[in-house]
Amino acid sequence: MQNPYIPYPVVVDKIITEVDTKDIKTFRFKFVNPEDEQKYAYIPGQFGELSIFGKGESPIGIASSPTQKGYVEFTVQKAGVVTSALHEMEEGTIMGIRGPLGNSWPLDFLEGKNIVIVGGGFAFTTLRSLINYMIYGDNRKRFGNITVIYGARNPGLLLYKDELTEWGKRTDLNLNVTVDKGDATWKGREGFVPAVCKEVAPSKENAVAVICGPPVMIRFTLPVFFELGFSKENIITSLEMRMKCGIGKCGRCNVGSKYVCKDGPVFSLAELDKLTPEY
Amino acid sequence: MEKRLIKKDALAGIARKMAGDAMVWAPVKKEDNVLFAPLGTGDEPVFTYLNSKNAPKNVFFPHTETLMKFTRTPKGMEFSSEVNQSGQSVLFGVRPCDAHSFVLLDKLFDQEKYKDAYYIEKRKNTTVISLACVKPPYATCFCTSVDGEPVSADGADILLTDLGGDYLVEFITDKGEKLASYFGDAKADAAADAKKAEIAAKARDAIQSKIPAHEIKPILDVNFDNPFWDTIHRKCLACGTCTFMCPTCHCFDISDEVKGSDGVRIRSWDSCMFPLFTKETSGHNPRSSQKERWRQRTMHKFKYYIDMFNAISCVGCGRCVMACPVNIDIRKVVADISKL
Repeated sequence: MQNPYIPYPVVVDKIITEVDTKDIKTFRFKFVNPEDEQKYAYIPGQFGELSIFGKGESPIGIASSPTQKGYVEFTVQKAGVVTSALHEMEEGTIMGIRGPLGNSWPLDFLEGKNIVIVGGGFAFTTLRSLINYMIYGDNRKRFGNITVIYGARNPGLLLYKDELTEWGKRTDLNLNVTVDKGDATWKGREGFVPAVCKEVAPSKENAVAVICGPPVMIRFTLPVFFELGFSKENIITSLEMRMKCGIGKCGRCNVGSKYVCKDGPVFSLAELDKLTPEY
Repeated sequence: MEKRLIKKDALAGIARKMAGDAMVWAPVKKEDNVLFAPLGTGDEPVFTYLNSKNAPKNVFFPHTETLMKFTRTPKGMEFSSEVNQSGQSVLFGVRPCDAHSFVLLDKLFDQEKYKDAYYIEKRKNTTVISLACVKPPYATCFCTSVDGEPVSADGADILLTDLGGDYLVEFITDKGEKLASYFGDAKADAAADAKKAEIAAKARDAIQSKIPAHEIKPILDVNFDNPFWDTIHRKCLACGTCTFMCPTCHCFDISDEVKGSDGVRIRSWDSCMFPLFTKETSGHNPRSSQKERWRQRTMHKFKYYIDMFNAISCVGCGRCVMACPVNIDIRKVVADISKL
């Protein structure tokens, strides 16, 4: 059996600077041993521990979709020791990744429903994984209407700009990109995510909202969805906590009796209501 | 399984004989304390002790442990080897409360999905010989309140009970029976069983300290926000001694160390009592004061562990009670909670 503490060796295949401030980059990894890719079979919403020997590990959501073969991607903001070291890396460097860890977006539950994706800022990464999964080939038929509402503070901070353009051309996906404040070249929507949600007003009929963003966005977005009639069972989100082992043993990421690393990070609001508000 | 009798003064010799064949962790005197340590030639094991100063969990879950090694290459730091070597060993003469803690730790480290190879390997290769508590134990002992017994084979492969002149040797598991040849050939009779039962009952009665550990679970279920939590922690120094001494505390940190072009990834004991334990890179800390940390420790032992594994994560050894520099007493905490 695979020792869950030992990372798979990967090579940094491609680094994409996502934002104008250059502190958020997407790292594309290829497995050094091709057979490891099969072992790393993941579902959107799961995360991995990025492992830089000599620096440590950092838990990061998987940004690519399992439908993208041959590599796995993580979008990482430069913040602490490990992520800063990662941002200094060059293509071709060898490092490690552990996982896939945690539960995932509840694909079985989402199937056959209308999906409303709401993302804010840098928390869009695992939502991007979910979107790319849902719109891939025949997968698209398994889901109803897909509405995406994605906001960033300014146009330069939007992630995955090329993909946003591609998604915008699709007729089977209702994309709503907004920025808090535009610039001279911005022709799109301006306004905060909660206000855009109110405007787009997705129907609650057979619908699930998948919401991920900074706490302030979540706080003002939830009331909008309650008003639209979404039940707590049909609002799904993902938590973040400090983690080390990622497998429910080291004891720091529990919220009540649930470990965010192992039992989460994805919870419905109904499930969160049963947990202690300590996150 | 089989039971035998050995003369009391033969026990130290048996431990030393075993130490010739395998690594034997035995209680030895170190300065003023009795601690479990690998028995070396010339070391005298102490079997008349009350309990070891530190819990023997370090045998399976060392204070610091190397998980893997890595080395610098032109392409970056690369993984070089997994470290998990563990030979056959014997944990000789551990108290039943501490043996009980291994059963509790197994639930965490040996789960169905994520198995902790480092812990499991050591656990698998170690035979646990429990030494029943027949003498009046510490006033701070409360094992009988948390599913324990002073004379108990829980977690043991072999149980030794002092019957006066002899030790009754009970082989509890196949693993224990494999060591049978060390324990002579004097079979125990029904009289020995009767005597053991009498001693066990007396020892149980000698545990005076009782806490309502089972009663507080439903109270904890609904009292996360009770103002009571603002009272316990006020004198807490956040020293972490309680978690360090605790046989069931298992929280750890993982960190990397590099020397020259070689490095190791190690895990070390950590503590929910420390502010940095849950502090995130952003500065946000979900357990921002000692109040939340004390609530976590109490809830983890008497509620969360029951939710997760259907067991209280406390063995009633009383070490945290004795070691706390500001006399925070978990027995009082539990008693106070029962009155909420």
